[in-house]
Amino acid sequence: MNAPIARVPGDGASPLFKRFASQSGEHLLVVPYSRIFDLPADLAARFDADDPEMAHLAQALGAMVEGEESLDAVPEPAPQALSLNVSSACNLACAYCYADRGSFNGAQSRPMTAAVAHDAVDRLFVTADATRPVTIGFLGGEPFVNRALIRDIVRYAQNRGAQLGLDVRFSVTTNATLLRPDDLRLLREHAFAVTVSIDGGPAIQDAQRPARGGGGSFDAVRRGIGPLLADPGRTRVAARATVTRDNLDLKRRFAAIRDVGFCEVGFAPLRSSPSGSAITNDDWPRYLDALLSLARSELAAALAGHAISLTNLAVALKQLHRGSSAPYPCGAGGGYFSVSAEGRWYACHRAIGAADYELGDNSGLDAEKRRRFLANRHVHAQTDCRTCWARYLCSGGCHQEASSRSAGACNFIRGWLEFCLIAYCELLDRRPDYFPGLNSARPSEISA
Amino acid sequence: MSPLPPVKLVPRNIAAFRRGRTPREGADVVAVAGNPMSTRPESGIGNCFPGLECDLRNLERRFFPFLEVDIADNSIRIVGVDVAGAEADGKARGLPAASAKPYRTIGKDIAAGRSWNVRRLTGTFGPLGELTLDISRLGPPSVGGGRRPPDAWVAVRMLTEGTEVVLDLRGPNNAAMALKGNRMRYLDDNGALAEIFLPGELTQSLCSPWTHDFRDCGCYYWASNHPDIALPPLPTPVPNDPRWNLAVIWERQDRTIGTLPRPATVNDPSPFEMRHQEINGAWQTLNFVMGRREIIAPFSSRQISGEPLSSRDELERYLRYAAGVELAVAQEYLTAAYSLKPPTGLPALLADDIRASYAEIMRIAIGEMRHLRAVNDVLRGLLIPGTFKPALQVASAVPGQQPGQTRPVTPRAARAATIRDFIDIERPSVSVDGVYARILATFERDGPHALEQSIRTIMAEGEDHFEAFLSIQEWLGRHQEGDYLRSTKDVSPPRGDPAHKTLQTRYFDLLQQLYRGYTLGGSAGAPDINEARMEMVGPIDATAHEIADRGFLVVFDVISDPRFASIDPP
Repeated sequence: MNAPIARVPGDGASPLFKRFASQSGEHLLVVPYSRIFDLPADLAARFDADDPEMAHLAQALGAMVEGEESLDAVPEPAPQALSLNVSSACNLACAYCYADRGSFNGAQSRPMTAAVAHDAVDRLFVTADATRPVTIGFLGGEPFVNRALIRDIVRYAQNRGAQLGLDVRFSVTTNATLLRPDDLRLLREHAFAVTVSIDGGPAIQDAQRPARGGGGSFDAVRRGIGPLLADPGRTRVAARATVTRDNLDLKRRFAAIRDVGFCEVGFAPLRSSPSGSAITNDDWPRYLDALLSLARSELAAALAGHAISLTNLAVALKQLHRGSSAPYPCGAGGGYFSVSAEGRWYACHRAIGAADYELGDNSGLDAEKRRRFLANRHVHAQTDCRTCWARYLCSGGCHQEASSRSAGACNFIRGWLEFCLIAYCELLDRRPDYFPGLNSARPSEISA
Repeated sequence: MSPLPPVKLVPRNIAAFRRGRTPREGADVVAVAGNPMSTRPESGIGNCFPGLECDLRNLERRFFPFLEVDIADNSIRIVGVDVAGAEADGKARGLPAASAKPYRTIGKDIAAGRSWNVRRLTGTFGPLGELTLDISRLGPPSVGGGRRPPDAWVAVRMLTEGTEVVLDLRGPNNAAMALKGNRMRYLDDNGALAEIFLPGELTQSLCSPWTHDFRDCGCYYWASNHPDIALPPLPTPVPNDPRWNLAVIWERQDRTIGTLPRPATVNDPSPFEMRHQEINGAWQTLNFVMGRREIIAPFSSRQISGEPLSSRDELERYLRYAAGVELAVAQEYLTAAYSLKPPTGLPALLADDIRASYAEIMRIAIGEMRHLRAVNDVLRGLLIPGTFKPALQVASAVPGQQPGQTRPVTPRAARAATIRDFIDIERPSVSVDGVYARILATFERDGPHALEQSIRTIMAEGEDHFEAFLSIQEWLGRHQEGDYLRSTKDVSPPRGDPAHKTLQTRYFDLLQQLYRGYTLGGSAGAPDINEARMEMVGPIDATAHEIADRGFLVVFDVISDPRFASIDPP
């Protein structure tokens, strides 16, 4: 990791710990570095009583140790992942589409050319850290509208990567309706991470994700992705469902998507939309209830020895186990950029055309602008977030959605994380095999 | 802000482990390998599943009078009935003979292979109050509002001792029956296991195939009969070579007897250990370990001989003196431990020897304090309820090597001669052991059996202290006294020294706290004893270091309060 380019100090009055209890007993989340401990009852009571000595203890436990980065730091990593907006068109007409079907409200009216794509790949490879994988993602619009370009870029990136000794990986986000057998071969051959946008069973999918010329899309999705789900080869295929306020029956949506053959299903609430179907401040408790209800049944399945298919839960548990703790919610503007059809580098694929997210182009990054962007997006710079106990787990949430942040939305995040903390402790007790990575010769306790 | 007294936390996730594993300079958080510091020799590792040393489920096998049960997650099956006991009890209470009929019925059915199970359990479940529980339906939630015991064992475990319990039983052909009785205890007043348990009963469901699992444990978290290191088996004749007193790998591949095995080190032992499959195939070649040493011949326990005391009063005097000796030697040991130089910055071998010696002397001193409590527990068990007064006086002299001989209690630095004296105090069969031998002989003659076992435990630990002091003698004997002592001369703090005065005040407060805790006894006294313990490892330890850092001996003055004043040998 390069030396930090700036520091954004935290708020001295922000909470250092979060207390919670599970069927496994009393626990403590130490907010900096997301350390989780079991507490004996007497200490738990002292934490609950706001004993100042316990704040002192939490501070000691939250101190940075070797191998950890300062949470105040504004890092400036080398870009390691790019998404290429290879298509400015889509065959579906989802009303809530943030990308305006790929045109980004006119900011991207033409499809990307091979020359622009090659320049972007070259630029990425020049500065990337060769000891870590480099990822190229394909977005749109619907990327497979421009499948010839995808093939071209994959070939180009593979060859250039091999010359430079890079581990190049690929990902794509698709609606899956246009997939052909030769596309599936490409995906398998290059071990793509494939994210399929599918919102539920036929009724929901057809209503939320209609075909451009009319009619539904559910059957086409099933036809397109079915063979890959049946024979994924080296690909990893996951479903991503957008949830609108019109239908919060997540269990039914989940079951329908699982029925298609997906083993990984994640939900994303629609936070802002021109269609008026975004989750509002009053909807968040209902959405949380729906997600928790589904997550509980997934947790019960996991306790019984099964895998977790709800990726929201699976990812959260994995991150809690590692103790993920970051001042940024994603790599936007840091290790990740999205390249528009014109070769402009944006901090995020959702911000194509937004001037304040445009941090450079294929000829290089605007260092000063990037620095400002990163410093401004640090969680310590977010007024509401810097004093929240969940600040290093949520990290302020999607930059693009920051404007739609509300008390209800934040309560939802905290409610969800609290559930995940409890689920983590209970699952760790009953299925330690679910969480690899704890050394068998671990200390049985630590003394503070 | 003043530093916190030490607290122990169990880390859950990787980030929490990392905090413990990589302490910074001047670490305030450290990883602790192995068992918690509260572990006592008698606290064998047990759990609610076939465990390592003790299957705790077996503690509740006789929770209901005259019945013996097997408890699983959602079933309680009757496996034995004390019909004679039920009949005798009915007779003693003037009940008609028919009162024991249910027990006779169950006994007959069980003998014929027909089973009886507890279907519903009604009683007082500790903090949950009075409940009727359907055993087959027990499960979550076990926390929060509306919580219930999650399984049958927890349900039985929660039943308040002595309160009325009703068993709703189902037998062959759905026969129904209800039995009423009081919840039995599994510990007696002195904390010993009640006499209802039969030998072997607590260990009967242990899981022996775990032997090979232990090979990969790196944290000493296992049963004492599955050590990772032990002293090697001694050949005959016993060689006069100190290397035979160094620990070796217990599961070593080289099973040759008579030659000195490779000593255990802190490095990964696995290249020199039997592989898992070899252990499965040749587990019987792993030697039993007694008193830390592998034995290859039948074990014969040490014969303890002592003349029984003549009366209950004399026994009480001996016990009070024994408590006083524990306190006196604890004081001498603490003075010696604090007289050692801090190891930081010293040459490696010297630093290691000092560190090990300090840790061992402190461990022994703490062991003596545990003995102090054990002796008080024995006294409480011996005396008429309500008449017990804690034994916290300090012996003026400790027993010598010959009967009737004593030597005065003298705080001094850990010179070679001092360590020799300590070895003599702890030497089996003489000195303090001789005092306990007479107490033991009296209990062996007069009972009760549970108190006899408490005294045996104290004596066994004394043997461990004796061996530890031999090791300390070896470690410190490698160096000049001036190299490891803060001062070779015994210099007590000057009169009126503020730190010394603080130490005396804190020590007095600690004794008062112990007095309160011992007086209350049992769990009621535990908070006071715990406070005293925290005081000892916190402020008292800090003050003692402050005195020692200035080159003075850490000494404890004689106290005039009659509760803590000197006590002479009987």
